[in-house]
Amino acid sequence: MKILIIEDETELAINMADYLTGQNYICEMAHTFQQAWEKINVYHYDCILLDLMLPGGDGLKILEELKKQQKQEGVIIISAKDSTEDKVKGLQIGADDYLAKPFHLPELAARIFSVIRRKQFGNSNIIQVNEIQIDLPAKTVLVNNLAVALTRKEFDLLLLFIGNKNRVISKAALAEHLSGDIADMLDNHDFVYAHIKNLKRKLTDSGSVNYLKTIYGTGYKWEPG
Amino acid sequence: MKLLNKTLKPFALYSMLVLALSVPVYFFVINFIWKRELDKHHQVIRKEIEKEINALHLEDSSLAQMLEVWNKVQPRTRLTPAPGTHKIKDSIYTTIRYDVHEEEIEQFRGAVTTIIINKKPYHLLVETNMEEFYETLIIIVLVSILFFILLLTGFIILNRRLSVKLWKPFYDTIHRLKLFDLRGQDKISFQPSDIDEFEALNYELSKLIGKNIDAFRQQKEFTENASHELQTPLALLKSKVDLLLQDTSLTKEQSEKIASLDSPLARVSRINKNLLLLAKLENRQFTENETVRVSETLNQNIALLEEHFRAKNILITTNIEADFSINANQGLFEILVTNLLLNAIRHNPLNGKINIRLCNKILIISNSGLSALNSETLFKRFISSSKDMPSSGLGLAIVKEICNTHNWKIDYTFENYLHNFVIRF
Repeated sequence: MKILIIEDETELAINMADYLTGQNYICEMAHTFQQAWEKINVYHYDCILLDLMLPGGDGLKILEELKKQQKQEGVIIISAKDSTEDKVKGLQIGADDYLAKPFHLPELAARIFSVIRRKQFGNSNIIQVNEIQIDLPAKTVLVNNLAVALTRKEFDLLLLFIGNKNRVISKAALAEHLSGDIADMLDNHDFVYAHIKNLKRKLTDSGSVNYLKTIYGTGYKWEPG
Repeated sequence: MKLLNKTLKPFALYSMLVLALSVPVYFFVINFIWKRELDKHHQVIRKEIEKEINALHLEDSSLAQMLEVWNKVQPRTRLTPAPGTHKIKDSIYTTIRYDVHEEEIEQFRGAVTTIIINKKPYHLLVETNMEEFYETLIIIVLVSILFFILLLTGFIILNRRLSVKLWKPFYDTIHRLKLFDLRGQDKISFQPSDIDEFEALNYELSKLIGKNIDAFRQQKEFTENASHELQTPLALLKSKVDLLLQDTSLTKEQSEKIASLDSPLARVSRINKNLLLLAKLENRQFTENETVRVSETLNQNIALLEEHFRAKNILITTNIEADFSINANQGLFEILVTNLLLNAIRHNPLNGKINIRLCNKILIISNSGLSALNSETLFKRFISSSKDMPSSGLGLAIVKEICNTHNWKIDYTFENYLHNFVIRF
């Protein structure tokens, strides 16, 4: 799957590409408005990460152009501007998601994963990971065709892991994924542990292999083999 | 005390002093003139008498007869033959005595002189009743008091007129200053005045305010720009940490050290976001208000934080009046509630309590604590009131600013080992 990273901060773009490349994505980068403009008019991508403040032009113009050409790329805005108006404006023009800087890479990967799934599979959006079957629109999980009752947070966690397979996800990234903005105001991230423990227990109790590895001191890793 | 009343007092005192001084001066001047005039008058009478009687060419016997009659019918004069040829020296005098004619004590001015009738000297005494000195004094004092009252009422009326007219631009300036709000960023314009001092005052004030507005705007822009500029390097750092964690060649210790970077990074992000939020709040960038269902928002946010209450084994009691709504910015109100609730969790000991009460347009969020916090600095930026807990020091500043934006009143009290944050909508 091809991803275009439109970001003027080269180092950040490289970090994103580094992380995503290991996830079966092929990444291309554009650092100016001009480069981005040329690339979107020539190539096709599965997902475009779009920074709004670019040298040479406003990122929203690129979004407008994509919509004008009725391209099917999923677009995620990654912006330093974290204001509701910008968010609403971006989503109104047709962005699929909005991620405010600074963000964790696993969070970005999870967003890309779900945008691509939604774009390409629509309503029959079912993920099969070995014996685990996840129905995204219905938010249900089956293990060996038997339903597993997950809470909303456990379901969110599972998706985060599936979007970041074989990657170490720090507790901080998990906490931010679970509680959003307030994560950095909490003294400890022990609540993450409780949700992980429950998710792990529910999956293995239903007969799933334990793919979730604890990396001591740092975080967790999903290894579906 | 008003400025005008301040000037009125010395003016009134001065005029009183002048009038008081004028009383003896008037008295002496009037007395002096009066006496001089009477003395002149007496001289005229003397001459007339001497001339007229001599012109009659009376014999001595008829003269004596006439003098007897004279002295009887002319009460204020006495004409008597001088003993021998003794000629007394002219003298004048003032005396106070009982007057048989007016039947009371009177003051007299008299003159004693010698006139020559039929070549014989006669003593002439002429007296004129004049006002007693104390009567003159009383009249002068009364007149002075009357004038003083006239002056004072004049001053007061003039002052009132002046305060309305002359000081109008000054009071107008004060009024405009009172209405001025630095955060509104509107330049202030003063009414032009033809009084140099007021013009100078207005000019200097305008200059000062202009500078303040600029400084305030620069400060806001600086905060906003700095926060924005920080987002990208922060994103860079965060992504670097996430990438480093993937490195399988790292030892366990190295990985742990890298992961521990997450916490300070999260704090910087939070401070940065909060600074940006504060700058926007001060910029009045949140204008759209809607009906916010306070009771529901509270219950939802409490439910969201449920697991965090449980993690600290906090006993939470709620007493939330149903269906209470206000007109506010939904996003900001949620931030306010979250900040207060998280604060209550953060600064709560294990097994503590949190009480949430909403009734009669008052929201009280209380949590257990050992000692009162410094309420002076509690809502200030970057002043963490708790010694043992690191925080961004901005949470309560934001709460305060959100309250200000909506004209709500927030207070802090400490009672029965409970920190209470009270918001009056």
